[in-house]
Amino acid sequence: MTTHDTRPGSTGGEDTPGPLYGGPDEDYTPERLAGMSREDLDRLGARYDGVEILHVDPGPEPGSRLEKRAVRQVGLAFTLAGVFAFLFLVVYAGSGWFLPEWNWAEEGTTWSALFTPLLGLFMGLSLTMVGVGLVLFTKKLLPHETAVQDKHDGSHFDRVTTGATLVGGLHSTGLARRKLITRSLGFMGAAVGVMLLAPLGGLIKNPNTGNPLGRTSWAEGVRLLRDDGSPIRPGDQEPGSLETVFPEVPGGNLQSDAATMLIRLRPEQVLQDEPREGQADFSYGDYVAYSKICTHAGCPVSLYEQETGRILCPCHQSQFAVTQGAKPIFGPATRSLPQLPITVDDEGYFVARSDYIEAVGPTYWNRERI
Amino acid sequence: MSTTNPQSDAPLDDAGTPVGRARARRRSKHRRRLANAAGLMASLLMTGALYSVFAPAQAAVETTSESAAEAAGRELYERSCISCHGENLEGVPNRGPSLIGVGEASVYFQVHTGRMPLVRQEADAPDKPVVFSDEEIDQLMAYVQANGGGPTLPSGDLRDGELAEGGELFRLNCSSCHNFVGEGGALSSGKAAPSLESSTDLEIYTAMLTGPENMPVFGDNQLTPDEKRSIIAYIQTVQGMADPGGAGIGRMGPVAEGLVIWVVGISALMFGIFWMGSKA
Amino acid sequence: MAATATAPGAPTSRLGKTATEFDDRLIVAGPVRRTLNKVFPDHWSFLLGEIALYCFVILLLSGTYLTFFFDATMNEVVYDGSYDPLRGTEMSGAYASALNLSFDVRGGLFMRQLHHWSALLFVASIVVHLLRIFFTGAFRRPRETNWLLGVVMLVLALLMGVTGYTLPDDLLSGTGLRIISAILLSIPVIGTWAHFAVFNGDFVGTEIIGRFYIAHVLILPAILLALIAAHLLILVKQKHTQFPGPGRTEHNVVGNRLFPTFAAKATGLLFIVFGACAALAGLVQINPVWLWGPYNPAQVSAASQPDWYILFLDGSTRIFPAWDINLPGDYTIPALFWPTVVIAGAMFTLLALYPMIERKLSGDTASHHLLQRPRDVPVRTSLGVMGLTFYFVLAISGGNDVIADKFDISLNAMTWFGRIGVIVLPAIAYVFTYRICLGLQQHDREVLEHGIETGVIRRLPNGEFIEVHQPLGPVDEHGHGQLAYGGAPVPKRMNHVGGSRRAIRGFFSPIEEPSAVELEQRREGRGLSASESDRELTSSGRPSEGGRPSEGGRPQDPRD
Repeated sequence: MTTHDTRPGSTGGEDTPGPLYGGPDEDYTPERLAGMSREDLDRLGARYDGVEILHVDPGPEPGSRLEKRAVRQVGLAFTLAGVFAFLFLVVYAGSGWFLPEWNWAEEGTTWSALFTPLLGLFMGLSLTMVGVGLVLFTKKLLPHETAVQDKHDGSHFDRVTTGATLVGGLHSTGLARRKLITRSLGFMGAAVGVMLLAPLGGLIKNPNTGNPLGRTSWAEGVRLLRDDGSPIRPGDQEPGSLETVFPEVPGGNLQSDAATMLIRLRPEQVLQDEPREGQADFSYGDYVAYSKICTHAGCPVSLYEQETGRILCPCHQSQFAVTQGAKPIFGPATRSLPQLPITVDDEGYFVARSDYIEAVGPTYWNRERI
Repeated sequence: MSTTNPQSDAPLDDAGTPVGRARARRRSKHRRRLANAAGLMASLLMTGALYSVFAPAQAAVETTSESAAEAAGRELYERSCISCHGENLEGVPNRGPSLIGVGEASVYFQVHTGRMPLVRQEADAPDKPVVFSDEEIDQLMAYVQANGGGPTLPSGDLRDGELAEGGELFRLNCSSCHNFVGEGGALSSGKAAPSLESSTDLEIYTAMLTGPENMPVFGDNQLTPDEKRSIIAYIQTVQGMADPGGAGIGRMGPVAEGLVIWVVGISALMFGIFWMGSKA
Repeated sequence: MAATATAPGAPTSRLGKTATEFDDRLIVAGPVRRTLNKVFPDHWSFLLGEIALYCFVILLLSGTYLTFFFDATMNEVVYDGSYDPLRGTEMSGAYASALNLSFDVRGGLFMRQLHHWSALLFVASIVVHLLRIFFTGAFRRPRETNWLLGVVMLVLALLMGVTGYTLPDDLLSGTGLRIISAILLSIPVIGTWAHFAVFNGDFVGTEIIGRFYIAHVLILPAILLALIAAHLLILVKQKHTQFPGPGRTEHNVVGNRLFPTFAAKATGLLFIVFGACAALAGLVQINPVWLWGPYNPAQVSAASQPDWYILFLDGSTRIFPAWDINLPGDYTIPALFWPTVVIAGAMFTLLALYPMIERKLSGDTASHHLLQRPRDVPVRTSLGVMGLTFYFVLAISGGNDVIADKFDISLNAMTWFGRIGVIVLPAIAYVFTYRICLGLQQHDREVLEHGIETGVIRRLPNGEFIEVHQPLGPVDEHGHGQLAYGGAPVPKRMNHVGGSRRAIRGFFSPIEEPSAVELEQRREGRGLSASESDRELTSSGRPSEGGRPSEGGRPQDPRD
């Protein structure tokens, strides 16, 4: 830390400072400063920055028991920090060398399960000890000083002079009179701005082209496949069961809107079943197929309670009643899960009779129009 | 094939409205009264029909020779189960479902996890300490299996499957209710999918096979025995696996993590800055 | 030591010469001295923002490390790493690289967890910092700009969190991404267009991880960094606020100079925060993506939640009623729009505009550099607690399935708790907080008027029992204190006014002579045995000299 102001030019020579030069170097010559103690210089500089040191509570007396103890504590903290850092390095570099392998093989070994915790423990302790040492040092060994610094509100002088410069500069451009320039400037600004933003237009895609939101891969005659690609016969499922099925198209089991729940109702549920209007023939025997994509936020709704016939969405807890056309009966969802019309093909496997007759997944602005 | 034949048990369940009544019982309160009245009427009719259909059949079964285990099982049944499941496994309206066709697998699951015998009717049956000894469970299974048939217990190594495939199947079919690693989760209106933490291989297998309570049934034509074994291999491997990144905090994800950052992280640092700010 | 150089002022030491050479070129001595002399007030609550700053530093460091290994691609690969239960599974390249980072990079899992924990801590400390600013009124003129910057940074931190949460492309984050997609779709009129612009098509596409990645590692951190710089510059320019107290006015700052005290403490805190994050990173597992599995749109898990700071939005979505608005022309405003876009927008707008709102309503347009105690501004405090309660109910609802499961409560009941609670509880919280504030205010005034309760019971000649009160300052003829409340804490127990001598230092064994301490205390006029001295107190109820009132003296008999 230096309290000297050694601006070039202030140490003499031919090159003399201009008439406007001033500041503390004029008041305090090098000779005068050289005659001051370090403490005085410190306070002088502080005062120059608007800081007054009110009170200094000196640290513990040199050589006192209190000091020795504090020094011991701080030293211990820093030493421990070093030791823990070293232990971190031992664990990090030593695993697989003179310590067991850290890699996670099969179900993991004791050491591989300890590796990361040990790294964290040692690094955590080491860094915390550095911090603790520093704080202890500040609290127990450094003098406690109470300083006051003045707070200045904005200076009126600065405001007025800056304003004058600004207005003067603006005035000399004459923009207030030369209307053509301001107008063309405005036009230019808008046009150039839009031009610079225009390439972002590459992001824009028309969501209505090909109606990707309103259609899925399901179509007449498309088989219902399991995740592993096998088709399903009506005899394959027990009453009260659910299978997630996908359309028989390439990559069908990865499409985000195609996942469908094929549910075989329990016999008494078949009796109670009240399909939605016009969708009575969408089911096949005791099988019904509903979209797995929640009509609320698009999560896969597959928490199927086979006794109560409820389907729960794990994201926002919408509940749908399977025997009432998958109508929402609780939670934030507003629309029934779309039902996939199904039947059985010549070979006895489930196929779709058509695509969903409405858009699957979350609601959006013009959904009803698609 | 150990699975039930859908063709043969369909008419049984059609008549088995006790199940329907069990369903009504679990409905929310405001529907209960209506459901009860309707259920009562239906049950009166149906129980009558059921009785006329099964009483002779049951008698026919009884006339054939009954093994010692079945006899012991009958005795246990009549002591502990009959009040809810009826004299001939036909179920009791508003109390317990029919056990005809549920098979020994179902008995194994329900009794071995302590769910049965039930203490009281709740949203769902909690698992409790087991009441019966293994031998008694075997006897009960023999009795129920002999009187109605149904899914049977598997044999062999139940973890003999493909780990990665099991994981994929678990996430597709199971995790939606049982959570990513089988920690369990809430269902509607107070029901819950239990944690699989202490479940045995056979319990998991029989649960998939029989679909206890609200769990969907995964018959052998839907999830093959091999696939079931893969799922069990996955669950048990992951459940038994140590956490490489330190304390697992329940493997619950963000809720537990958020709790930790506030209760541990922020608290520790608050303590730290209190200490820093305090006078020496 | 005074300089004894031959040439006046010329440095003699090597260090001094180097410094001179340096300053000859850069002319920094002046600004450096001004910086070193800067005074910072000393209060624990002023360190909260620093915690957030240090978390950001840790995030930059650990995040840079992660980019060496993370591969933000959605191309399908077959996993072939160390983690057995997923080997042979198809997954995106992003997820596979997150697995490799966790299992096949030495210390990679530690760094991943360090990044995630410090991210959680980052947002948490921002929130705590914001609460401190709010409840003490530190946002008032002239600091509205910094408040605004702070709120913008909070939103940016949330966006950072959301994009970072999405990157590993695991089953949990994919579910979150699906909800983000639905939220975009739910925006009226432009929803589908916005979605197609962000996702480059229908959900999920092949672009989104890459786009979120660049937002997460470049765009958002760059903006955040710039705003942090502005935030700190403004803080330095405006100087820190301080609590009222002896010698503290609207026109000064009382505290420690930057060098060495404040710098040492701040550096210490940096290490402590780093240490805490590192310890959490190793000892507590966070976001074990290998357990979640790769994302697949047909799969989901029970209890799928966002990280804690988005939990409130998930909660508002869960408890919002099923209210689609159907407009003529078959247009729909989806129910999802309200609890996500509108509520979040309204909450953050309200938060950002609060200083202006309060200024408008209270008519207080003056500059303030002294902080307020929350009790002294009951309306603001109550509004704050009300907002917190609202937020808290939403956050609880965001985890309502976990709570329902762990505490065996009906899920539907939890939803209804949220629906009713979010309306009723904030109102109750307002009333309660208001009453508590008034009560605390009243108690302060009472102590100033009647003195501290000493616990000493006296019997008067007429048989009446009274408790002896210790006045805090000069009293009038009725024994009533004449001190006015100055916004600073009022001592309420005898210990606070030096009624007892300080404890002897030493944890396991005393390191001081008790008799010496006794003497020292007596010298300082502390303790009951010290004679009562003349007191001069400021309007704040504290003595004008020294930090603490030290004129305990003997309890006086009340005179009324």
